[in-house]
Amino acid sequence: MVLRRWRELPRMSAPCRREGGDRRRLLSGRIASGVKTARLIVLLVFATPVPAAELDGIGWLTKMASASRRLNYSGIFVYQYADRVETSRIAHFVNPAGGEFEKLETLDGPVREVIRTNDQVSCYLPDTKTVIVEPRSTRRFPALFPEQLSGVSDNYTVIVAAMDRVAGLDCQVIVLEPKDRLRYGHQFCAEAASGLPLRARTFSEKNRPLESFAFTEVRIGGHFSRDQVRSRYAAKSRTWKVDHSSLVLSDVPADTGWTLTQQPAGFRKLTELKRSIAGRTAMVSHIVYSDGLAAISVFIEPLPKARPVNSLSHQGAVNIYVRPVADHLVTVLGETPAATVMQVANSLEFRGGRAR
Amino acid sequence: MNKISEWMDGELAAHETRLQVERVKQDVELRQCWDTFHLIGDVLRGEPALSQDFERRLATRLAGEPSVLAPRPPAVRRFATYALSAAASLSAVAVVGWLAFFNNPLVPQPEVAQSQIAPSPAAIPVEPQLASVPNDGTMNEYLIAHQEFSPSTEIQGLAPYIRGVSSSRQVKDR
Repeated sequence: MVLRRWRELPRMSAPCRREGGDRRRLLSGRIASGVKTARLIVLLVFATPVPAAELDGIGWLTKMASASRRLNYSGIFVYQYADRVETSRIAHFVNPAGGEFEKLETLDGPVREVIRTNDQVSCYLPDTKTVIVEPRSTRRFPALFPEQLSGVSDNYTVIVAAMDRVAGLDCQVIVLEPKDRLRYGHQFCAEAASGLPLRARTFSEKNRPLESFAFTEVRIGGHFSRDQVRSRYAAKSRTWKVDHSSLVLSDVPADTGWTLTQQPAGFRKLTELKRSIAGRTAMVSHIVYSDGLAAISVFIEPLPKARPVNSLSHQGAVNIYVRPVADHLVTVLGETPAATVMQVANSLEFRGGRAR
Repeated sequence: MNKISEWMDGELAAHETRLQVERVKQDVELRQCWDTFHLIGDVLRGEPALSQDFERRLATRLAGEPSVLAPRPPAVRRFATYALSAAASLSAVAVVGWLAFFNNPLVPQPEVAQSQIAPSPAAIPVEPQLASVPNDGTMNEYLIAHQEFSPSTEIQGLAPYIRGVSSSRQVKDR
Protein backbone atom coordinates (compact mmCIF):
# COMPACT_ATOMS: atom_id res chain seq x y z
CA MET A 1 0.00 0.00 0.00
CA VAL A 2 2.76 2.40 0.91
CA LEU A 3 4.49 1.83 -2.38
CA ARG A 4 1.36 2.48 -4.32
CA ARG A 5 0.89 5.77 -2.48
CA TRP A 6 4.48 6.76 -3.20
CA ARG A 7 3.81 6.40 -6.85
CA GLU A 8 1.03 8.90 -6.52
CA LEU A 9 3.29 11.52 -5.02
CA PRO A 10 4.32 13.31 -8.16
CA ARG A 11 0.71 14.02 -8.88
CA MET A 12 0.10 15.66 -5.52
CA SER A 13 -0.45 19.36 -5.94
CA ALA A 14 1.12 22.31 -4.20
CA PRO A 15 -1.58 22.80 -1.53
CA CYS A 16 -0.50 19.50 0.03
CA ARG A 17 3.03 20.77 0.32
CA ARG A 18 2.12 23.98 2.02
CA GLU A 19 0.63 22.14 4.96
CA GLY A 20 4.14 21.55 6.16
CA GLY A 21 3.20 23.50 9.29
CA ASP A 22 1.68 20.31 10.67
CA ARG A 23 5.10 18.80 10.99
CA ARG A 24 5.41 18.88 14.74
CA ARG A 25 2.06 17.24 15.26
CA LEU A 26 3.07 14.60 12.75
CA LEU A 27 6.32 13.77 14.39
CA SER A 28 4.70 13.30 17.76
CA GLY A 29 4.26 9.63 17.35
CA ARG A 30 1.46 9.20 14.90
CA ILE A 31 3.83 7.64 12.42
CA ALA A 32 4.67 4.85 14.85
CA SER A 33 1.02 4.40 15.60
CA GLY A 34 0.61 2.85 12.19
CA VAL A 35 -1.89 5.35 10.82
CA LYS A 36 -0.06 5.68 7.57
CA THR A 37 -2.18 7.45 5.06
CA ALA A 38 -0.83 8.87 1.84
CA ARG A 39 -1.42 12.31 3.29
CA LEU A 40 0.97 11.60 6.10
CA ILE A 41 3.68 10.43 3.79
CA VAL A 42 3.25 13.48 1.62
CA LEU A 43 3.54 15.75 4.62
CA LEU A 44 6.70 14.02 5.76
CA VAL A 45 8.34 14.12 2.38
CA PHE A 46 7.71 17.78 1.80
CA ALA A 47 8.16 19.08 5.32
CA THR A 48 10.89 21.75 5.17
CA PRO A 49 13.04 22.69 8.18
CA VAL A 50 11.10 25.93 8.55
CA PRO A 51 7.57 25.84 7.23
CA ALA A 52 7.13 28.37 4.44
CA ALA A 53 4.28 30.12 6.22
CA GLU A 54 6.55 31.12 9.09
CA LEU A 55 9.33 32.70 7.01
CA ASP A 56 9.72 36.44 7.20
CA GLY A 57 11.08 38.55 4.36
CA ILE A 58 14.71 38.15 5.38
CA GLY A 59 14.12 34.42 5.75
CA TRP A 60 12.85 34.32 2.19
CA LEU A 61 15.90 36.22 0.91
CA THR A 62 18.17 33.71 2.60
CA LYS A 63 16.12 30.86 1.20
CA MET A 64 16.30 32.31 -2.34
CA ALA A 65 20.08 32.71 -2.17
CA SER A 66 20.51 29.20 -0.86
CA ALA A 67 18.16 27.73 -3.49
CA SER A 68 20.03 29.53 -6.31
CA ARG A 69 23.29 28.01 -5.19
CA ARG A 70 22.29 24.54 -4.12
CA LEU A 71 19.53 23.45 -6.47
CA ASN A 72 19.86 21.91 -9.87
CA TYR A 73 17.62 23.76 -12.29
CA SER A 74 17.33 24.61 -15.95
CA GLY A 75 14.94 26.75 -17.90
CA ILE A 76 14.25 29.72 -20.13
CA PHE A 77 14.14 33.25 -18.79
CA VAL A 78 13.41 36.63 -20.27
CA TYR A 79 15.38 39.76 -19.46
CA GLN A 80 13.42 42.96 -20.01
CA TYR A 81 14.78 46.48 -19.84
CA ALA A 82 13.75 49.73 -21.50
CA ASP A 83 11.82 48.55 -24.54
CA ARG A 84 13.87 45.41 -25.09
CA VAL A 85 13.23 41.77 -24.34
CA GLU A 86 15.92 39.11 -24.50
CA THR A 87 15.37 35.42 -24.02
CA SER A 88 18.05 33.15 -22.59
CA ARG A 89 18.49 29.57 -21.53
CA ILE A 90 20.00 28.96 -18.14
CA ALA A 91 21.17 25.81 -16.38
CA HIS A 92 22.63 25.43 -12.90
CA PHE A 93 24.10 22.22 -11.55
CA VAL A 94 25.93 21.24 -8.42
CA ASN A 95 28.17 18.22 -8.75
CA PRO A 96 28.39 15.54 -6.06
CA ALA A 97 31.49 17.27 -4.63
CA GLY A 98 29.53 20.49 -4.14
CA GLY A 99 31.05 22.34 -7.11
CA GLU A 100 28.79 24.87 -8.80
CA PHE A 101 28.41 25.01 -12.58
CA GLU A 102 26.15 27.36 -14.43
CA LYS A 103 25.53 28.30 -18.04
CA LEU A 104 23.61 31.14 -19.60
CA GLU A 105 23.05 31.18 -23.33
CA THR A 106 21.21 33.92 -25.20
CA LEU A 107 18.55 32.73 -27.62
CA ASP A 108 17.97 36.00 -29.51
CA GLY A 109 20.45 37.55 -31.93
CA PRO A 110 24.07 36.43 -32.03
CA VAL A 111 24.95 33.63 -29.61
CA ARG A 112 26.53 34.72 -26.38
CA GLU A 113 27.33 32.33 -23.59
CA VAL A 114 28.30 32.93 -19.99
CA ILE A 115 29.74 29.96 -18.14
CA ARG A 116 30.33 30.05 -14.42
CA THR A 117 32.46 27.42 -12.78
CA ASN A 118 33.91 27.42 -9.29
CA ASP A 119 36.86 29.59 -10.07
CA GLN A 120 35.87 31.75 -13.00
CA VAL A 121 33.22 33.29 -15.21
CA SER A 122 33.82 33.07 -18.98
CA CYS A 123 31.84 34.98 -21.57
CA TYR A 124 31.96 33.49 -25.06
CA LEU A 125 31.22 36.02 -27.80
CA PRO A 126 31.35 34.02 -31.06
CA ASP A 127 30.51 36.97 -33.32
CA THR A 128 33.73 38.72 -32.36
CA LYS A 129 35.59 35.48 -31.57
CA THR A 130 36.36 36.71 -28.08
CA VAL A 131 36.33 35.10 -24.67
CA ILE A 132 36.25 37.32 -21.62
CA VAL A 133 37.54 35.48 -18.57
CA GLU A 134 36.78 36.88 -15.16
CA PRO A 135 38.34 35.09 -12.19
CA ARG A 136 36.12 34.67 -9.18
CA SER A 137 37.39 36.29 -6.05
CA THR A 138 38.91 34.00 -3.44
CA ARG A 139 37.13 36.16 -0.93
CA ARG A 140 33.78 34.75 -2.00
CA PHE A 141 30.84 35.94 -0.06
CA PRO A 142 28.94 33.25 1.72
CA ALA A 143 25.33 33.33 0.57
CA LEU A 144 23.98 36.43 2.25
CA PHE A 145 26.00 36.72 5.42
CA PRO A 146 24.37 38.20 8.56
CA GLU A 147 25.94 41.64 8.18
CA GLN A 148 24.55 41.87 4.70
CA LEU A 149 21.07 40.88 5.82
CA SER A 150 21.10 43.51 8.56
CA GLY A 151 22.06 45.98 5.84
CA VAL A 152 18.99 44.91 3.90
CA SER A 153 16.61 45.46 6.83
CA ASP A 154 18.25 48.80 7.68
CA ASN A 155 17.79 50.12 4.17
CA TYR A 156 14.64 48.43 2.91
CA THR A 157 11.23 47.53 4.29
CA VAL A 158 10.95 43.85 3.47
CA ILE A 159 7.38 42.66 2.95
CA VAL A 160 6.12 39.15 2.39
CA ALA A 161 3.30 39.97 -0.03
CA ALA A 162 0.82 37.88 -1.96
CA MET A 163 1.32 34.61 -3.80
CA ASP A 164 1.75 34.74 -7.54
CA ARG A 165 2.45 32.36 -10.37
CA VAL A 166 5.50 32.41 -12.65
CA ALA A 167 6.39 29.82 -15.28
CA GLY A 168 3.46 27.73 -14.13
CA LEU A 169 4.72 27.53 -10.54
CA ASP A 170 3.26 29.07 -7.39
CA CYS A 171 5.60 31.64 -5.94
CA GLN A 172 5.80 33.97 -2.97
CA VAL A 173 6.17 37.67 -3.72
CA ILE A 174 8.77 39.45 -1.57
CA VAL A 175 8.82 43.25 -1.82
CA LEU A 176 11.78 45.39 -0.80
CA GLU A 177 10.76 49.01 -0.46
CA PRO A 178 13.69 51.41 -0.23
CA LYS A 179 13.71 53.61 2.87
CA ASP A 180 15.28 56.53 0.99
CA ARG A 181 15.99 57.72 -2.54
CA LEU A 182 19.55 56.40 -2.65
CA ARG A 183 18.37 52.96 -3.80
CA TYR A 184 15.83 51.26 -6.00
CA GLY A 185 12.86 49.12 -5.02
CA HIS A 186 13.01 45.39 -5.66
CA GLN A 187 10.49 42.62 -5.96
CA PHE A 188 11.18 38.90 -6.04
CA CYS A 189 8.90 35.95 -6.57
CA ALA A 190 10.33 32.80 -4.97
CA GLU A 191 9.05 29.36 -5.85
CA ALA A 192 6.82 28.34 -2.95
CA ALA A 193 8.48 25.05 -2.07
CA SER A 194 12.15 25.41 -2.99
CA GLY A 195 12.57 29.18 -2.74
CA LEU A 196 14.20 29.44 -6.17
CA PRO A 197 13.71 33.02 -7.41
CA LEU A 198 11.51 32.75 -10.49
CA ARG A 199 11.26 36.48 -11.05
CA ALA A 200 13.25 39.56 -10.02
CA ARG A 201 12.14 43.08 -10.79
CA THR A 202 13.69 46.47 -10.09
CA PHE A 203 11.67 49.67 -9.78
CA SER A 204 12.76 53.28 -10.18
CA GLU A 205 12.29 56.09 -7.65
CA LYS A 206 8.99 56.76 -9.43
CA ASN A 207 8.02 53.13 -9.03
CA ARG A 208 8.39 52.44 -12.73
CA PRO A 209 9.78 49.04 -13.72
CA LEU A 210 13.40 49.36 -14.82
CA GLU A 211 14.38 45.80 -15.34
CA SER A 212 12.91 42.33 -14.99
CA PHE A 213 14.29 38.80 -15.01
CA ALA A 214 11.62 36.09 -15.19
CA PHE A 215 11.52 32.41 -15.96
CA THR A 216 8.96 31.41 -18.56
CA GLU A 217 9.82 27.77 -18.16
CA VAL A 218 11.84 26.07 -15.45
CA ARG A 219 12.65 22.57 -14.30
CA ILE A 220 13.81 22.25 -10.73
CA GLY A 221 15.83 19.16 -9.81
CA GLY A 222 17.47 16.64 -12.08
CA HIS A 223 20.93 15.16 -11.97
CA PHE A 224 24.24 16.91 -12.51
CA SER A 225 24.96 17.13 -16.21
CA ARG A 226 28.36 18.53 -17.20
CA ASP A 227 27.31 18.78 -20.83
CA GLN A 228 24.51 21.16 -20.05
CA VAL A 229 26.89 23.62 -18.40
CA ARG A 230 29.78 23.38 -20.86
CA SER A 231 30.31 25.95 -23.61
CA ARG A 232 29.65 24.63 -27.06
CA TYR A 233 32.60 26.77 -28.09
CA ALA A 234 34.96 25.16 -25.59
CA ALA A 235 37.07 23.59 -28.36
CA LYS A 236 36.55 26.16 -31.08
CA SER A 237 37.45 29.08 -28.87
CA ARG A 238 41.09 27.97 -28.52
CA THR A 239 41.93 30.15 -31.50
CA TRP A 240 39.86 33.07 -30.27
CA LYS A 241 41.09 36.20 -28.59
CA VAL A 242 41.03 35.75 -24.82
CA ASP A 243 40.66 38.81 -22.61
CA HIS A 244 41.70 37.92 -19.11
CA SER A 245 40.90 39.91 -16.05
CA SER A 246 42.95 39.19 -13.00
CA LEU A 247 42.69 39.98 -9.35
CA VAL A 248 45.59 40.59 -7.06
CA LEU A 249 44.86 37.81 -4.69
CA SER A 250 45.54 38.51 -1.08
CA ASP A 251 43.77 37.93 2.18
CA VAL A 252 43.99 41.56 3.08
CA PRO A 253 42.13 43.82 0.68
CA ALA A 254 44.54 46.18 -1.03
CA ASP A 255 44.50 49.78 0.09
CA THR A 256 44.11 51.66 -3.16
CA GLY A 257 44.63 55.05 -1.52
CA TRP A 258 41.20 56.24 -2.62
CA THR A 259 38.36 57.11 -0.31
CA LEU A 260 34.90 58.67 -0.33
CA THR A 261 34.31 61.95 1.42
CA GLN A 262 30.56 61.40 1.19
CA GLN A 263 29.78 57.71 1.39
CA PRO A 264 26.07 57.26 0.58
CA ALA A 265 24.05 56.45 3.71
CA GLY A 266 23.51 52.76 4.29
CA PHE A 267 26.38 51.67 2.05
CA ARG A 268 29.51 50.14 3.48
CA LYS A 269 32.72 49.06 1.83
CA LEU A 270 32.70 45.38 0.90
CA THR A 271 36.11 45.08 -0.65
CA GLU A 272 38.96 47.01 -2.18
CA LEU A 273 41.41 45.43 -4.59
CA LYS A 274 43.84 45.94 -7.44
CA ARG A 275 43.01 44.11 -10.61
CA SER A 276 43.11 44.19 -14.36
CA ILE A 277 40.05 44.52 -16.55
CA ALA A 278 39.58 42.43 -19.67
CA GLY A 279 40.86 44.26 -22.74
CA ARG A 280 42.69 46.94 -20.75
CA THR A 281 46.37 46.87 -19.97
CA ALA A 282 46.72 49.09 -16.91
CA MET A 283 46.02 47.92 -13.37
CA VAL A 284 42.73 49.16 -12.03
CA SER A 285 41.71 49.87 -8.46
CA HIS A 286 38.32 48.35 -7.72
CA ILE A 287 36.33 49.29 -4.62
CA VAL A 288 32.90 47.81 -3.93
CA TYR A 289 30.22 49.30 -1.67
CA SER A 290 26.93 47.63 -0.82
CA ASP A 291 23.77 48.31 1.15
CA GLY A 292 23.16 44.59 1.51
CA LEU A 293 21.23 44.20 -1.72
CA ALA A 294 22.56 46.70 -4.26
CA ALA A 295 26.26 47.12 -4.97
CA ILE A 296 28.30 50.00 -6.36
CA SER A 297 31.68 49.38 -7.99
CA VAL A 298 34.30 52.09 -8.32
CA PHE A 299 37.01 51.52 -10.94
CA ILE A 300 40.00 53.86 -11.01
CA GLU A 301 42.55 53.67 -13.81
CA PRO A 302 45.14 55.93 -15.44
CA LEU A 303 43.64 58.54 -17.72
CA PRO A 304 43.79 57.50 -21.38
CA LYS A 305 45.59 59.85 -23.79
CA ALA A 306 42.34 61.16 -25.22
CA ARG A 307 40.89 62.63 -22.05
CA PRO A 308 37.25 61.52 -21.86
CA VAL A 309 34.56 63.84 -20.57
CA ASN A 310 31.92 63.06 -17.94
CA SER A 311 29.29 60.68 -19.22
CA LEU A 312 26.31 58.87 -17.81
CA SER A 313 24.89 55.65 -19.24
CA HIS A 314 22.75 52.76 -18.10
CA GLN A 315 22.10 49.09 -18.66
CA GLY A 316 18.77 48.03 -17.23
CA ALA A 317 18.84 48.98 -13.55
CA VAL A 318 22.59 49.62 -13.57
CA ASN A 319 23.73 53.23 -13.88
CA ILE A 320 27.25 54.00 -15.05
CA TYR A 321 29.05 57.30 -14.54
CA VAL A 322 32.45 58.04 -16.02
CA ARG A 323 34.45 61.01 -14.76
CA PRO A 324 38.10 62.03 -15.01
CA VAL A 325 39.59 62.92 -11.62
CA ALA A 326 43.01 64.58 -11.87
CA ASP A 327 45.07 62.17 -13.98
CA HIS A 328 42.75 59.23 -13.38
CA LEU A 329 39.64 57.94 -15.03
CA VAL A 330 36.91 56.98 -12.59
CA THR A 331 34.07 54.66 -13.61
CA VAL A 332 31.34 54.13 -11.04
CA LEU A 333 28.48 51.75 -11.65
CA GLY A 334 25.82 50.01 -9.67
CA GLU A 335 22.20 48.94 -9.54
CA THR A 336 21.23 52.19 -7.82
CA PRO A 337 19.77 55.50 -9.02
CA ALA A 338 22.11 57.62 -11.13
CA ALA A 339 22.30 60.22 -8.36
CA THR A 340 23.80 57.68 -5.95
CA VAL A 341 26.39 56.55 -8.47
CA MET A 342 27.27 60.18 -9.21
CA GLN A 343 27.52 61.03 -5.52
CA VAL A 344 30.09 58.27 -5.13
CA ALA A 345 32.07 59.42 -8.17
CA ASN A 346 31.98 63.06 -7.13
CA SER A 347 33.13 62.42 -3.58
CA LEU A 348 36.06 60.19 -4.50
CA GLU A 349 39.37 61.50 -3.25
CA PHE A 350 42.94 60.30 -3.32
CA ARG A 351 44.43 60.39 0.15
CA GLY A 352 47.78 60.98 -1.49
CA GLY A 353 50.89 60.51 0.64
CA ARG A 354 49.15 58.57 3.33
CA ALA A 355 48.30 55.79 0.93
CA ARG A 356 50.37 52.67 1.26
CA MET B 1 28.21 87.20 -39.65
CA ASN B 2 25.06 85.71 -38.26
CA LYS B 3 25.96 84.52 -34.75
CA ILE B 4 25.06 80.94 -35.53
CA SER B 5 28.56 79.83 -34.71
CA GLU B 6 28.53 81.60 -31.35
CA TRP B 7 25.11 80.25 -30.67
CA MET B 8 26.27 76.69 -31.20
CA ASP B 9 29.32 77.33 -29.06
CA GLY B 10 27.03 78.40 -26.27
CA GLU B 11 28.51 81.88 -26.24
CA LEU B 12 25.28 83.81 -26.70
CA ALA B 13 23.45 85.28 -23.77
CA ALA B 14 19.95 83.97 -23.10
CA HIS B 15 18.14 86.88 -24.72
CA GLU B 16 20.37 86.70 -27.79
CA THR B 17 19.69 83.00 -28.07
CA ARG B 18 15.98 83.64 -28.10
CA LEU B 19 16.41 86.19 -30.85
CA GLN B 20 18.53 83.78 -32.80
CA VAL B 21 15.88 81.07 -32.63
CA GLU B 22 13.32 83.52 -33.96
CA ARG B 23 15.65 84.53 -36.79
CA VAL B 24 16.30 80.96 -37.80
CA LYS B 25 12.61 80.25 -37.82
CA GLN B 26 11.95 83.05 -40.25
CA ASP B 27 15.11 83.20 -42.34
CA VAL B 28 15.65 80.49 -44.94
CA GLU B 29 19.24 81.61 -45.50
CA LEU B 30 20.05 81.27 -41.84
CA ARG B 31 18.58 77.83 -41.83
CA GLN B 32 20.75 76.83 -44.78
CA CYS B 33 23.72 78.22 -42.93
CA TRP B 34 22.80 76.08 -39.93
CA ASP B 35 22.52 73.04 -42.19
CA THR B 36 25.88 73.74 -43.80
CA PHE B 37 27.59 74.06 -40.45
CA HIS B 38 26.28 70.70 -39.46
CA LEU B 39 27.23 69.14 -42.75
CA ILE B 40 30.79 70.38 -42.18
CA GLY B 41 30.76 68.93 -38.70
CA ASP B 42 29.42 65.62 -39.94
CA VAL B 43 32.01 65.37 -42.69
CA LEU B 44 34.81 66.24 -40.26
CA ARG B 45 33.73 63.43 -38.01
CA GLY B 46 33.08 61.08 -40.91
CA GLU B 47 29.41 60.70 -40.09
CA PRO B 48 26.79 59.95 -42.71
CA ALA B 49 24.64 62.92 -43.68
CA LEU B 50 21.18 63.18 -42.20
CA SER B 51 18.30 62.16 -44.41
CA GLN B 52 16.05 64.60 -46.26
CA ASP B 53 13.23 63.32 -44.16
CA PHE B 54 15.07 64.35 -41.02
CA GLU B 55 15.48 67.92 -42.22
CA ARG B 56 11.84 68.17 -43.16
CA ARG B 57 10.78 66.92 -39.78
CA LEU B 58 13.27 69.20 -38.11
CA ALA B 59 11.89 72.17 -40.00
CA THR B 60 8.36 71.23 -39.02
CA ARG B 61 9.43 71.02 -35.41
CA LEU B 62 11.32 74.27 -35.65
CA ALA B 63 8.27 76.11 -36.85
CA GLY B 64 6.33 75.09 -33.79
CA GLU B 65 9.22 75.27 -31.37
CA PRO B 66 9.48 77.75 -28.50
CA SER B 67 12.82 79.30 -27.62
CA VAL B 68 15.53 76.88 -26.70
CA LEU B 69 18.12 77.93 -24.17
CA ALA B 70 21.44 76.37 -24.86
CA PRO B 71 23.49 75.81 -21.73
CA ARG B 72 27.04 77.09 -21.65
CA PRO B 73 29.36 74.12 -21.77
CA PRO B 74 32.26 74.26 -19.31
CA ALA B 75 35.11 74.10 -21.83
CA VAL B 76 33.59 76.17 -24.56
CA ARG B 77 36.33 76.07 -27.17
CA ARG B 78 36.75 72.32 -27.14
CA PHE B 79 33.09 71.85 -27.90
CA ALA B 80 33.06 74.01 -30.96
CA THR B 81 33.25 71.21 -33.49
CA TYR B 82 31.02 68.92 -31.52
CA ALA B 83 28.40 71.57 -31.30
CA LEU B 84 28.16 71.64 -35.07
CA SER B 85 26.23 68.44 -34.92
CA ALA B 86 23.74 69.92 -32.56
CA ALA B 87 20.85 69.70 -34.99
CA ALA B 88 19.16 67.36 -32.63
CA SER B 89 19.12 69.88 -29.87
CA LEU B 90 16.84 72.17 -31.79
CA SER B 91 14.10 69.64 -31.87
CA ALA B 92 14.94 67.93 -28.70
CA VAL B 93 15.19 68.09 -25.01
CA ALA B 94 18.65 67.22 -26.15
CA VAL B 95 19.70 70.49 -24.61
CA VAL B 96 19.61 68.36 -21.49
CA GLY B 97 21.56 65.71 -23.25
CA TRP B 98 23.93 68.08 -24.96
CA LEU B 99 26.96 67.19 -22.93
CA ALA B 100 26.27 63.50 -22.73
CA PHE B 101 25.39 63.00 -26.36
CA PHE B 102 28.08 65.05 -27.92
CA ASN B 103 30.81 64.14 -25.53
CA ASN B 104 30.21 60.48 -26.02
CA PRO B 105 31.20 59.53 -29.55
CA LEU B 106 29.52 56.14 -29.14
CA VAL B 107 26.00 57.43 -28.88
CA PRO B 108 23.67 56.48 -31.71
CA GLN B 109 22.95 60.03 -32.80
CA PRO B 110 20.35 59.33 -35.48
CA GLU B 111 18.19 57.64 -32.86
CA VAL B 112 18.47 60.66 -30.67
CA ALA B 113 17.35 62.94 -33.42
CA GLN B 114 14.33 60.81 -34.14
CA SER B 115 13.06 60.07 -30.71
CA GLN B 116 13.89 62.83 -28.28
CA ILE B 117 11.23 65.37 -28.94
CA ALA B 118 10.81 68.22 -26.52
CA PRO B 119 7.57 67.91 -24.61
CA SER B 120 7.47 71.52 -23.42
CA PRO B 121 9.76 74.48 -22.84
CA ALA B 122 9.46 73.82 -19.12
CA ALA B 123 11.63 70.75 -19.52
CA ILE B 124 14.60 72.85 -20.54
CA PRO B 125 17.01 73.20 -17.65
CA VAL B 126 19.01 76.30 -16.94
CA GLU B 127 22.11 74.35 -15.87
CA PRO B 128 23.78 71.84 -18.16
CA GLN B 129 22.91 68.31 -17.09
CA LEU B 130 23.98 64.88 -18.15
CA ALA B 131 21.41 62.72 -19.86
CA SER B 132 21.81 59.02 -19.42
CA VAL B 133 22.31 57.05 -22.62
CA PRO B 134 21.92 53.29 -23.06
CA ASN B 135 25.08 51.25 -22.65
CA ASP B 136 26.46 50.55 -26.10
CA GLY B 137 28.70 47.68 -25.05
CA THR B 138 31.74 49.72 -24.05
CA MET B 139 30.91 49.14 -20.38
CA ASN B 140 30.47 45.37 -20.66
CA GLU B 141 33.80 44.39 -19.10
CA TYR B 142 33.07 46.64 -16.13
CA LEU B 143 29.55 45.25 -15.79
CA ILE B 144 30.95 41.71 -15.73
CA ALA B 145 33.66 42.66 -13.24
CA HIS B 146 31.04 44.33 -11.02
CA GLN B 147 28.61 41.44 -11.13
CA GLU B 148 30.94 39.10 -9.28
CA PHE B 149 30.70 41.32 -6.21
CA SER B 150 27.02 42.20 -6.36
CA PRO B 151 24.66 40.52 -3.88
CA SER B 152 22.24 40.15 -6.79
CA THR B 153 24.51 37.37 -8.07
CA GLU B 154 24.02 35.57 -4.76
CA ILE B 155 20.27 35.78 -5.02
CA GLN B 156 19.75 35.32 -8.75
CA GLY B 157 22.77 33.35 -9.83
CA LEU B 158 24.12 33.92 -13.31
CA ALA B 159 21.08 35.69 -14.76
CA PRO B 160 22.24 39.28 -14.08
CA TYR B 161 25.43 38.62 -16.06
CA ILE B 162 23.31 39.07 -19.15
CA ARG B 163 23.68 42.81 -18.53
CA GLY B 164 27.34 42.48 -19.45
CA VAL B 165 26.78 40.66 -22.73
CA SER B 166 23.35 41.84 -23.77
CA SER B 167 24.30 44.90 -25.73
CA SER B 168 27.51 43.68 -27.33
CA ARG B 169 25.68 43.24 -30.59
CA GLN B 170 24.65 46.87 -30.67
CA VAL B 171 28.29 47.83 -30.98
CA LYS B 172 28.75 45.46 -33.82
CA ASP B 173 25.61 46.59 -35.60
CA ARG B 174 26.90 50.08 -35.99
